[in-house]
Amino acid sequence: MIDEGRMIQSTTGVAPDEDRVNTTEQVAVRLDGLAKSFGSVRAVDDLSLVIRPGETVALLGPNGAGKTTTVSMLLGLLTPDSGTASVLGMAPTAAIQSGRIGAMLQEGNLMPGVRISELLDYVLSLRSSPMTRAELVEMAQLQGMEKRRIDRLSGGQTQRVRFALAIASNPEVLVLDEPTSAMDVEARHDFWASMRKYVSGGRTVLFATHYLEEAEAFASRVVVIASGRIVADGTVAELKRGAGMRTVQFQSREAGARQWQALAGVKTADVYRERVTLKTTDADATVRALAGGDFDWKDLDVRGASLEDVFMELVGNGHARNGGN
Amino acid sequence: MVGYLKLEILRSLRDPRYLVLALAAPVGFYILFAGLFGNDAGAYGVAAKVDIMVSMGVYGALWAVLQATGPRIAQDRGIGWLRQIRLLPVRPNAILAARLLSGMALAAPAIVLVFITAALTHGVRLEAGQWIALGLLLWIGSVPLAVLGIAIGHALGAESAFGMLYGLSVVLSALGGLWMPISMFPNSLQTVGKLLPSFQAANLGWRVVGGHAPFYSSFLVLIVWLIAFAALALYFTRRAPSSR
Repeated sequence: MIDEGRMIQSTTGVAPDEDRVNTTEQVAVRLDGLAKSFGSVRAVDDLSLVIRPGETVALLGPNGAGKTTTVSMLLGLLTPDSGTASVLGMAPTAAIQSGRIGAMLQEGNLMPGVRISELLDYVLSLRSSPMTRAELVEMAQLQGMEKRRIDRLSGGQTQRVRFALAIASNPEVLVLDEPTSAMDVEARHDFWASMRKYVSGGRTVLFATHYLEEAEAFASRVVVIASGRIVADGTVAELKRGAGMRTVQFQSREAGARQWQALAGVKTADVYRERVTLKTTDADATVRALAGGDFDWKDLDVRGASLEDVFMELVGNGHARNGGN
Repeated sequence: MVGYLKLEILRSLRDPRYLVLALAAPVGFYILFAGLFGNDAGAYGVAAKVDIMVSMGVYGALWAVLQATGPRIAQDRGIGWLRQIRLLPVRPNAILAARLLSGMALAAPAIVLVFITAALTHGVRLEAGQWIALGLLLWIGSVPLAVLGIAIGHALGAESAFGMLYGLSVVLSALGGLWMPISMFPNSLQTVGKLLPSFQAANLGWRVVGGHAPFYSSFLVLIVWLIAFAALALYFTRRAPSSR
């Protein structure tokens, strides 16, 4: 069992070994005590986070958790009420001017009336990018669409152009806010394929998402936020272990869930069409009790918690705690 | 900045509003009015067909600079493109400068097209130096309105910016004496009209086609407007990013 204190850090978010890392060169993104309120709503609440070069971090949270607000402050689009954000040791706007950070927003249309090729040529000219237009087109999967007008693209196509704009200056740090929210399943798949290719060169990525699968498939580290605070921070494996929940499933013809609830370690029991699903904090004890008792059961299956279980547990807690304050 | 300027110009050349209202309309009006009154004696010492050429040149330039700035900027703010630009390694001031220059660049064809129409359809002839001075003066005279367009674009939404532009063009052109000579107005309206940037821009041209040097007062009025519009533009551009 991993040390929960390292993972579930609602306020510091910085692992102990990172305390010594203060030189700017080793930090891709640093958020320090960020806070932002809109009226009486505290969208982001004392949020601190350090991302080192080469990490791929998912900022995971339900809608309204403060993901977009956090990303906007990181990009200099919003001014924090308190706290600071820096990218590669620079203020966000300076980092953007240097072309060392690229970003893709969740919403916002692109310049109407111009062709994809014209817009790409423009952004490539901004910071003498090492990329050619052909390379950029290939990277963003825009082949064959270069002559299309920006205002006549589908949501998924527009998103690909946005991705192209984000990577045109060949940035070391890439920030994406809900990058796939306007895409269908196939487009989403293609998008992550191009992303993988792009970040294989050791780039740093921070992406906000509410899709658990995306966080699980793509991130080396997951930061879960709820109500503007970090409620968990670790690899997917760490989060799952840290949640301490495992799932025990089997077939049974016995009616009711009561007898299952009473087994050692069991937190919740669900029965659906003879399929029993137990959430347990101690799978070994639960299985032992099941085998030792006089029950009807077959097809036993023991799994770790899904990311969804972890997420529900963490986010549920986060809401409850903040709601109580 | 040059790159963005190019994008803005391409965008306008594909925009029917620019092509119709800034390029085609002044030419059409010239043909209409010069056909009706062209050979009358004008109010500025030359034939009316020459006066009207100046008026319609100013009218076209007015549309070109205002529509390339005001509704365009308002639209870009509304759809979120301005937000996207803030994530590109380009200075916001460079974008503003490109917008201003695009308005100016688009005014030039509007002016020249009216000149060509006047020369071809009504045989208007000026000396080479006069053509050049006239073109340059009308062009420079539209700078204050381009700056006004930037202020409007940051102050209003896309639809109201276009409405505002439409209203302004009516007021500026009618009261500014572009449809009929200002000397035909009642005295009080004349006083108001002569204070408008549209009248003074055209007045630069009317003096040139009459063989005179422009009045200093015309430049003075235009500069005062330029300063006032620049102050407005500054105010609204600073206010805008936080409001969106």
